[in-house]
Amino acid sequence: MDFEVITDILMRYVFNIANMQGMLRLATPIVLAGLCALITDRAGILNIAGEGMILFGAWTAVAGSYFYHSPIVGLMAAIASGLIVSGLFALFSLKFRANIIVMGIAINIFATSSTIFLTRAVFKVAGSFSSPDLIGFYPIQIPLIKDIPILGELLSGYTFPVYLTWLLVFLTWVFLYRTPWGLHLRAVGENPQAAETLGINVGMIRFLAVMASGVFAALAGVYLSLGDLIGYTDQMSAGRGFIGMAVNTFAGGAPVGVFLSSLLFGFIDKIGGRLQAENIFPIYFINMLPYLITLLALTYFTIRKTRMARAKVAKIKHEKVPA
Amino acid sequence: MTATTFSARLKRNLPGTLNRTLTVLLSILLGVLVGSLIMIYYGFDPIQIYSSLLQGAFLSEKGRFVTIQRATPLIFTAIASALAFRTGVFNVGVEGQFFIGAITATYIGYAVKLPMIIHLPLTLFFGFLGGAAWAYIPTLMRQKLGVSEIITTIMTNYIATNLVSYLCNYPMKAKPTVAETPFVQPTATLPQFIDFNPQLGRGTQANVGIFIAIAVVIIMWYVFKRTKVGYEWRLVGLSSAFSEFSGINLTRTFIGGMLVSGGIAGLGGAVEILGVWRRYKDLFALGFGFKGNLAALLGGQTILGSGFAALFYGGMESGALDLSFTMGVPRQLIDIVVGMIIFFMAAEGIWDFTKKIKWARDEQVRRTTENLEV
Repeated sequence: MDFEVITDILMRYVFNIANMQGMLRLATPIVLAGLCALITDRAGILNIAGEGMILFGAWTAVAGSYFYHSPIVGLMAAIASGLIVSGLFALFSLKFRANIIVMGIAINIFATSSTIFLTRAVFKVAGSFSSPDLIGFYPIQIPLIKDIPILGELLSGYTFPVYLTWLLVFLTWVFLYRTPWGLHLRAVGENPQAAETLGINVGMIRFLAVMASGVFAALAGVYLSLGDLIGYTDQMSAGRGFIGMAVNTFAGGAPVGVFLSSLLFGFIDKIGGRLQAENIFPIYFINMLPYLITLLALTYFTIRKTRMARAKVAKIKHEKVPA
Repeated sequence: MTATTFSARLKRNLPGTLNRTLTVLLSILLGVLVGSLIMIYYGFDPIQIYSSLLQGAFLSEKGRFVTIQRATPLIFTAIASALAFRTGVFNVGVEGQFFIGAITATYIGYAVKLPMIIHLPLTLFFGFLGGAAWAYIPTLMRQKLGVSEIITTIMTNYIATNLVSYLCNYPMKAKPTVAETPFVQPTATLPQFIDFNPQLGRGTQANVGIFIAIAVVIIMWYVFKRTKVGYEWRLVGLSSAFSEFSGINLTRTFIGGMLVSGGIAGLGGAVEILGVWRRYKDLFALGFGFKGNLAALLGGQTILGSGFAALFYGGMESGALDLSFTMGVPRQLIDIVVGMIIFFMAAEGIWDFTKKIKWARDEQVRRTTENLEV
């Protein structure tokens, strides 16, 4: 098989427009979950409750859209639920000194069981819910961009939450690196004592960071239930909260990095679905890839970091000898 | 503790214990109350639900056996989590270790042919080993690279569940249609009560695994209370900086805590397979690890407390099972109530007002010394 045939196969099956669009779609909830992990991580909080908050967001979005026939109401309801859950989470763990990991585990289990319960109690169905009254977001064609040959197909025709996500990545970057509040947040995450002595209200910043993470998680839920496929399924978050943590760790806490690594995981997801559908490769290995890659990346980056630190020390020692 | 008599000790510890009991009781009360409100809102009668819950869990003959069956794996995972939490190791990976223990035990169970007296202990041992080996990955990453075990144990959970699903869907699959492994040899199964006497626990799969679970509770309780290793673990859990000062090898306690915790979780998986299922079925028991985490939290992260909490949780599950059959109440209501109770218990801060009560005023100081006593 010569080079041209291989590139032809690659272009046709791997790097085609449909796959790219699928990648961007599948990456969207991961990006949001990643931002949820990022904002708390940068404030020095290990928030493992993202999974549960996504689930709550997905459920309330469906409820809002179903009862008011409007995805915008769903979105608002989800944001409200994100604020409430994360507010309680922050209140209990930051103010009432509950261990944050403990609270995270409790919230995740609580979310799973209460959404299952609520689906039965409110929608009177078990497992999954879908209805013609449930209105999701419609795809948006962007006027000028949609006419550009390839770029148009790539960038246009997604639903509102997708564009919102892209915007949020940019806004998070601006917030973190270009505003005083972002600086404060990073200071709190890196050295809370030092931040405290500078007069930064550490508790308040952390509280707000947790609230923000709740909103990101809720938006991820909105995308899952109204943004692409419309309907609610029990436990539809399917570990995305944890993949978000993986993405954030993988990206080292940088917003753009979170976006890019989510694209990578979205791509794996897309290709994996194809491979599974054509029975080439067991899906289980594809499903574990994000976690596996993160573990490997963590190993690699930490080893490199310690090597560089050691090299630096050696260099300093070397320079000091002649003097 | 040579000179102090029992009564003196009691007098000194009583305020702290009373205070903690009070907060636990209040938390349970609050959880039950909030749960009742939810039930009333959705048109259920809370008193009827709670009473038939207790009825189904502990007061009926069959219910008691279902409780035992449900509680057995939970006791293992609860002890595994409690042990880790007390040692200052956040092992969120109990779920994954449980699965790996289960699949390892299944493999040894069906692939090896030995007399029962060797086969059964060997299989259980491999279950323990599987869990411990799986816990070794995050341990290694923490020790060699300094990566937080919380992140890595979460990641390895997902790797474990997918790996195990792959194994029972591909290489270990017995029949082409169903995603399950072959049955384990009869020499590797744990007898169910029904095997001894057809009347004993009819219609349930309660098995002698509960005795192994109780043994684990007692052994771990003894280790924690009466041995040097246990003392070191507790000390590190309370303050790692102080323990390092006093010459405790933090690396060793961390590795020890993590591996024993993972091993117990794996043993739980093995017992569940050998006692109840006798083969590995894909996704047979999602959530045992997380529920174990919850039970450990419910039990105040102490060994005995977690054991009882797991039993209680098993009882609630068994009662809820009954409930959803007879009254059409979703099983998840129970998880909601338990979740509430944990929220209230974990949030120490909301109970600060109890410290103003006279007998509990010096609780804060006492709690530390009390925990350190041998």
